Amino acid sequence: MSSLDQLKQTFFDECSEALQQIETGLTDIREGHGDDDTINAVFRSVHSVKGGAGIFGFEGLIKFAHVFETVLDAMRSGKLAATQDIIDVLLPANDVLSDLIAMSRAGEAIPANHGAESHAALERLLGANSVVGDEGDDNTPAEDFADLDFMPIRSDAFDGAEEASGGQSFRIVFRPGPDLLKRANEPLYIIRELKKLGELDLVAETDRLPPLSELEPDRAYVGWTGTLRTAATRAQIEEVFEFVVGDCELDIAVDMAPLAAIDAEPLAVAAAPIASMAPVAPLAEHPAPSIVPAPTADAGEPPPPRAAAPKQVATTMRVELEKIDRVVNMVGELVIAQAMLGQIVHGLPEESSSRLAQVLDEVIHHTRELKDSVMSMRAQSIGAVFQRMPRLVRELATKTGKKVRLEMHGENTEVDRSIIERLGDPLTHIIRNSIDHGIETPQDRLAAGKNDEGTIRLAAEHRGGRIVVEVRDDGGGIDPDRVLKKAKAKGLVSPDAVLTEDEITNLIFLPGFSTAETISDISGRGVGMDVVRRNIQDVGGRISLKSERGRGMTLQLALPLTLAVMDGMVIKVGGQTYVLPMSAIVECLRPSRSDIHNLLGGRGMLRLRGNLVPLVHLCDLLDLGMPTDSDERVVIIADAGDGTRFGLIVDELCGHQQVVVKSMEESYGTVPGVGGATILGNGRVALILDVEKLSDLAVSQTSPLAAARVGSTDQQVAMVVN
Amino acid sequence: MPVAAGLKVLVVDDQNSVRQMTRMTLEQIGVRHIHEAENGKQAIDTASLQPLDLIISDYNMPEMDGLGLLRAVRGHPAARRVPFILVTGRGDRELVVKAAQAGANNYVVKPFTADILRTKIEQVVGRLS
Repeated sequence: MSSLDQLKQTFFDECSEALQQIETGLTDIREGHGDDDTINAVFRSVHSVKGGAGIFGFEGLIKFAHVFETVLDAMRSGKLAATQDIIDVLLPANDVLSDLIAMSRAGEAIPANHGAESHAALERLLGANSVVGDEGDDNTPAEDFADLDFMPIRSDAFDGAEEASGGQSFRIVFRPGPDLLKRANEPLYIIRELKKLGELDLVAETDRLPPLSELEPDRAYVGWTGTLRTAATRAQIEEVFEFVVGDCELDIAVDMAPLAAIDAEPLAVAAAPIASMAPVAPLAEHPAPSIVPAPTADAGEPPPPRAAAPKQVATTMRVELEKIDRVVNMVGELVIAQAMLGQIVHGLPEESSSRLAQVLDEVIHHTRELKDSVMSMRAQSIGAVFQRMPRLVRELATKTGKKVRLEMHGENTEVDRSIIERLGDPLTHIIRNSIDHGIETPQDRLAAGKNDEGTIRLAAEHRGGRIVVEVRDDGGGIDPDRVLKKAKAKGLVSPDAVLTEDEITNLIFLPGFSTAETISDISGRGVGMDVVRRNIQDVGGRISLKSERGRGMTLQLALPLTLAVMDGMVIKVGGQTYVLPMSAIVECLRPSRSDIHNLLGGRGMLRLRGNLVPLVHLCDLLDLGMPTDSDERVVIIADAGDGTRFGLIVDELCGHQQVVVKSMEESYGTVPGVGGATILGNGRVALILDVEKLSDLAVSQTSPLAAARVGSTDQQVAMVVN
Repeated sequence: MPVAAGLKVLVVDDQNSVRQMTRMTLEQIGVRHIHEAENGKQAIDTASLQPLDLIISDYNMPEMDGLGLLRAVRGHPAARRVPFILVTGRGDRELVVKAAQAGANNYVVKPFTADILRTKIEQVVGRLS
């Protein structure tokens, strides 16, 4: 990629940021909580797009951005009020801008009439309010304003005024009092600040320094005297000592040694262009106060503006994703190596290993923090996905003739970028569904006693080690009768099935289910909620749905924070070692025999605090042969992902540890029940089980044998881990 | 006669792409010492840390715009003599007038070619050899 191409990429990245800012700003204004800063920020963003487009020569983009910008300029100067009508023109204009940017990015030719409607609407706004028409100078050569007679100021004008500091000389005596350090002040910083003001020449007075044996480290002993040549006023110098005035001996006096007078020149600099410009507003209104440093220090004079004291260093930097991914991988390897080390330490005789174990604990602690830090580097705010939704909602609302308002919360919630990338499609689909099937037409809404404008609330937050994304609408909700009828008609449930309302609503996740009587081009063809669910499950997430008839529905997506490393429970069953994701484990226990019941149909059930939980032998599910009878058997209560719980019977719990998830799909395809693999401390590979799919497997292959075996497990001890 | 390679120039723009583009243009002219700042604050810090021969600043920036920076530079003890070229958009006459009043040495209209920028710089620092 040539450097110019790279620059273009940078420019387009900036454009994405600008688009988001425009969108947010305009939405804020529409909602009534925008102010002057908001409209200024929107203007600046459009202006930046235009400026960059000019530099890189994207003509179509420049033209559109120009009209857009002109309207915004009229708004910020108060010539145009930010009414609903205008915002309704500006939001689609941003969509067009977004299209033009996308086309420019892809290197496509922009169709001549693209966005013509929006362009015309913008121009109408300008015309209707007789603001600056089309600027016209869009086509004039860059070298304009010749009529202004702007005389460039030669820098030769500065010859002979070499010393950068200039001004006058102050004698400074600064002797910190004994308590200055204790009050968290630092003379070094003060001296650095002084140095920023000009030429500083200081001598340290060390005569008060006691012998080392008597020295108190938090007491200040050293003082300084010297001179400062500066253009700053005494007030500015005093400002540097602002926080220590009471804690030190301080004397600032004008040094009488005269310095070259230099202040005439900068004045001339300021005056020269003004003199040469004919059509200029009265000068007196624009005095340049900051240009004239007072020749004599006058403490009463207001200090001219100067750089804010605390130094601001760049707080962010761009790093190639690849580099971060490499660190993530290395951390993964580190986690594995550390697990191996743990295993070895564990095998050593205790007297020789206790110290080692202590250090290892520290290493484990640091590795965990390292992992978290690296993961946070990979994290992106979910706003990257959310930002696409307002436009989607607008377009769908127009298409369906419905009124929809989108509320977004928690856009700054950070999620691993691998998840962000795979969240866009499911979210888009859910919102489409909401508008297409959920939100009613304005008439229907009014008839139902609702506001004619529907609301979709999109929210994200961190909750219990997961990211929860919620899409809630206040539409009609799911009609259980219709869903059940449909499901029966399609043969998805048996005709005589009796289901709870919750079970019925969850039918929409079944493959091949679609309630829309006619297929619209909005919700897509043949792609249903089952695909959404699959997408979410693929990234280790869970989806749940709540619907209130006539009042709307809520879809909740619970996503893992990261895909690369996870907390796992290492277990043994049938002589094999597996890992279960901690996120799916509710508790582990050794139930007493009397709590296990055999029901008709061969299912073993565990009575747990008054509820019955179905039991499954992991051995059976994984086809590991006959489970060995043992007193030590453990039941892991797991969450199947949709809130239902079941108990997995395993032979042994080996412990909780962080595991690095290695995908197996590329090599083996999807194996039901297996979510990936990891390398354990002993260097062996263990499969990571997918609890949700295990539960599906369990439902489809409950054998009477399993139940019988459960019954034979005796003398069990309860051990609640979680 | 100043030598382009000897000039120390500070480029101020909040847009990274524009900054880089300006840098490339300056390099075409032969300028070797190019500092960058993405906002007024950084610019002031850079200007107070080392002697500069020229500041080329965009006007359109958040928080402190180019005019604000110009005023701050002109009021800064160490930097107030540094020549200042303001980068403006097309058609903004009023801004050029304001810039002149605030002590700008020159202006350049975006987008600019290397030739235009060279001319503008020469008008300020003298012919480049």
